[in-house]
Amino acid sequence: MFKLWLTQLGYLGQETLRGLRRGGWMNWAAISTVTVLLFLFGISLQTSWQVSGLLNQMGSRLEISLYLESGVSGQVLRPTIEEYPEVTTVQVVPKEQAWKELLQDLGQTDIDGATEDLGQNPLVDELKVSVGSAALVPSLAEKLARVPGIEEVTYLDEALRNLIQINQGFSQLSIVVIGLLTLTAIAVITTTIRLIVISRQQEIEVMQLVGATRLWIYMPFILQGITFGIVGALVSWGFLSGTRRFIQHLLTEQPNFLQVVSDGIRLSTGQVILLPLILVGFGSLVGLVGSLFAVQRFALK
Amino acid sequence: MTRALLPESDLFPKPLEQPLHHRSQATPLDYTVHLKGVTKVYPQTKFGLVDVNLRLKQGSFLFVTGPSGAGKTTLMKLIYGAERPDHGEVLVAGTNVGVLRGNRLSHLRRQLGVVFQDYKLIPRWTITENIAFVLKSQGIPRDEIERRLRPTLKLVGLQKRADCFPSQLSGGEQQRASIARAIVGSPKLLLADEPTGNLDQENALQVLSILKKLNNLGITVVITTHDMHLIQVAQAPVARIYNGRLHMVNADKTA
Ligand SMILES: Nc1ncnc2c1ncn2[C@@H]1O[C@H](COP(=O)(O)OP(=O)(O)OP(=O)(O)O)[C@@H](O)[C@H]1O
Ligand SMILES: [Mg+2]
Repeated sequence: MFKLWLTQLGYLGQETLRGLRRGGWMNWAAISTVTVLLFLFGISLQTSWQVSGLLNQMGSRLEISLYLESGVSGQVLRPTIEEYPEVTTVQVVPKEQAWKELLQDLGQTDIDGATEDLGQNPLVDELKVSVGSAALVPSLAEKLARVPGIEEVTYLDEALRNLIQINQGFSQLSIVVIGLLTLTAIAVITTTIRLIVISRQQEIEVMQLVGATRLWIYMPFILQGITFGIVGALVSWGFLSGTRRFIQHLLTEQPNFLQVVSDGIRLSTGQVILLPLILVGFGSLVGLVGSLFAVQRFALK
Repeated sequence: MTRALLPESDLFPKPLEQPLHHRSQATPLDYTVHLKGVTKVYPQTKFGLVDVNLRLKQGSFLFVTGPSGAGKTTLMKLIYGAERPDHGEVLVAGTNVGVLRGNRLSHLRRQLGVVFQDYKLIPRWTITENIAFVLKSQGIPRDEIERRLRPTLKLVGLQKRADCFPSQLSGGEQQRASIARAIVGSPKLLLADEPTGNLDQENALQVLSILKKLNNLGITVVITTHDMHLIQVAQAPVARIYNGRLHMVNADKTA
């Protein structure tokens, strides 16, 4: 039984190669469409990984500071804040401690003296709220501003906020573009394979008459579609790795600030392994769907 | 005269015998053909076969004759499931062919060998590839295919044309290639639609002797032909289609 399978697999592989050879330039049309699709897909995936890498690097800033109205105690308000699902931890900075730190920062050593000078501690209690994801920060901040007892809400610096916004806009745009390109790639693969199926219609008819099963007849076409996807994935992966190296090379020659960025956008080992796998998976899926569309009309007869 | 044209007995491919024997153990069913009140009318041409009844036992040999356009090919198509009857049943080995679809039809067709009137060789494949294909699609290993291919080609006298494409062959050679394809899978039922249509008398008789030989091994053979000489030589039962109806010509000899 196993041997039979192996033999059949061998024949199917041969037939697939035969089909590929016959496809000629149309193969390249299909493969290059898939390559473009996967290259853009890869870039946006990689960018979203890199941006979240950057954000993680600035992770300490994924934090909202709440300054309470004077007289309101941080410890009292803390449980209320902890109830928000976006919140991961809440740290209380009592005004006494803040005062001490402030004075230390200012170089004052005589804390009691300074307090006496001012009459009383002018500061208020502060809550440092950590948030799970940078994207949640703005909306949470708005909600917290409405909590009674909170005087002022501050979070993140402008640059980071812009980065997050750009990233969101970018991922929405890339979803649209990738969606359209996926449809295009499927259409090109379907057309390519359907043309080959039609040109082999006579063969297929004879195959049916001498008792070849549908799977036997149509499998090579489906394998051909998947091959388009896999080849496209490998080529686009090559391009992606190339461009990434190039950019990193550019960044390392830059002043210090950009070197920090360069560290931030370096992919983790897991991501480096995952990227080609995702590309191959997505590519094969596109190829499979494209070739299924191509044969279904004939195969269902 | 026929004897002289019979192939030498060692020419007959041994491998054909074994799987045949093998299969008959696996499926004890007789490969009978049974048409019960079959009517088939083509709507476009209004041509039809009407109330055809036919019963063939395993191992029988039948000629089907009739004028051009009588419906001989149509009868064959009904048996191998390329056309479906409007009324009645076509039973092959006990299976109602008219309702078979998809893979079950494919599997039934593997038990049949069909010599098509128009050969249906694939132009882009060599003769070897055309014949080997039948075995490949059943997942038979390459060495086994090799083993069966050579004697089959020899049987139809095409060993020197093995690597030619159909367009490089004469009509008669193509016909013999299509016979080789029909028998290489050791069928239990062989349907030959005008298998000698393009052959001179000597070759026609040679083909007849091949088919007779297969019949002696227990294969049921149905041949359509116009060739009265062939029918005379063969001494086999004859059915005639006329006006859409099928009659046995020498009923006493039919089973
Ligand atoms: N697919 C079809 N659609 C409509 N009419 C058809 C079809 N196939 C065959 N016919 C008609 O059926 C009739 C019988 O055709 P068939 O091919 O069975 O004849 P035949 O006996 O094999 O003839 P020949 O000896 O010339 O091969 C013909 O008149 C033909 O026009
Ligand atoms: Mg005919």
